[in-house]
Amino acid sequence: MISWNNFLKTFKYMQLFWEGLVCTVSLSALSVVAGFILALVLATMRLAKFKPLRFVATTYVELFRATPMMVQLFLIYHVALAGVSLPTFKLFGFIRFERFIPGVIALSLNSGAYLCEIVRSGIQSVDMGQTEAARSLGLTAWQNMRYIVLPQAMKNILPAIANEFVTIIKESSIAWTIGVQDIMGAVNSVTAATFSMAEPLIVATCIYFCLTFPTSKVIQHFERKMSRGDKR
Amino acid sequence: MATNDKLIQVKHVRKTYNKGTLHALNDVSVDISKGDVVAIIGPSGSGKSTLLRSMNLLETLDEGEIVFHGIDITKDSYKDPKTGKKVKVDINIHRQKMGMVFQHFNLFPHKTILDNMILAPVKVKHMPVDEAKEKALTLLNRVGLGDRGDAYPIQLSGGQKQRVAIVRALMMEPEVMLFDEPTSALDPEMVGEVLSVIRELADAGMTMVIVTHEMGFAREVANRVLFMDAGKLVEQGSPQEIFGNPQNPRLKDFLSKVL
Repeated sequence: MISWNNFLKTFKYMQLFWEGLVCTVSLSALSVVAGFILALVLATMRLAKFKPLRFVATTYVELFRATPMMVQLFLIYHVALAGVSLPTFKLFGFIRFERFIPGVIALSLNSGAYLCEIVRSGIQSVDMGQTEAARSLGLTAWQNMRYIVLPQAMKNILPAIANEFVTIIKESSIAWTIGVQDIMGAVNSVTAATFSMAEPLIVATCIYFCLTFPTSKVIQHFERKMSRGDKR
Repeated sequence: MATNDKLIQVKHVRKTYNKGTLHALNDVSVDISKGDVVAIIGPSGSGKSTLLRSMNLLETLDEGEIVFHGIDITKDSYKDPKTGKKVKVDINIHRQKMGMVFQHFNLFPHKTILDNMILAPVKVKHMPVDEAKEKALTLLNRVGLGDRGDAYPIQLSGGQKQRVAIVRALMMEPEVMLFDEPTSALDPEMVGEVLSVIRELADAGMTMVIVTHEMGFAREVANRVLFMDAGKLVEQGSPQEIFGNPQNPRLKDFLSKVL
């Protein structure tokens, strides 16, 4: 049963929740940044003329989108990185690096697949005439990407990328299963210490909600603002 | 002003769509000499734009050659006549020498007018930014837009955009200008301002190829007119010959509809 007494006990461990919050945010932010860089490479491959490149990228995207996040995480941590001994220091004094990094890798690989599709659609949303104009001026394919297509694509897909960030904040809760001390990790520890599960879970719910709800509201605001400026 | 110095030679080009069933270009050959002002006319879908765009390889061809300055730019490499060595064809270098103006302007919407103009000279030719800006302002003044350098394309009218597009291409000091229906997307009252810029260029001796529906303009400015129909170059000649004494029945039919 939920009791006020148990809440008071839970609040004594707020430090753990705070550390979990920092861990969740760093985990998600790092994963989206790394995932985005991966997505740029994948999207370029998917749009390449050379068929094998397209095949590799498409297979990657389909594979990662069609399998559960937890399977991917376990494969990375328990299989791919099983023989690798990562340095065992603590980030900020409380995040265990050797657990944190496999989490980042798994989440990045996963969100890279999703972000690839976002980036690809962004690139394709830029009018072909822009590329033709750039190439006719003598710009190389890479210069065209760098100065003409990507800046315009980015503007179109920024809301979608921010949404992916919100998704990753929620998805990252899975990382506690490999011992990452994120918000869910804190719930686990506090449950063990207080012998009650409901109250820590309610606290975690509030923290997650306070993270994602304002973020998505801010995104919506900018989305509306941007589409207003888009009248051509 | 036309000379015998051949700048672009289009040789037997062929392009098909829909697995070879639709001929966009069907064995077209044409030479563009230095100083030529060539107008390409013809009904919609006759291959005019495809021919023009193939000259700087914005279209890939199924067959044929595009020879620019004696080099077949459709191939990956050519033999240097002096050294006999194989040299790679760098299409970007050839494109710098061919200015292109599009029907829909294709200005870069995220950049100011000045930034639109200096991008290629600075990034491709490594021109110092100050020098490029000075050059851009001189050109903008020439087309009456000297005060709009800091504006964004969205703030300009269609006619202004097209004038900017023309001087943006001129920034690279091209040897030939390719115009792809430069006035077709404009409101009628803005056609004149764009045509007068093109006319000035022609008077200054710029080599030009213009795909156009403005028959009066073609007649007045061009020294040669090409008539295309169904992917074929059906008739070519001086404006007097084409407009005054058309031979081919399809050209006669076309002219009776548009004049």
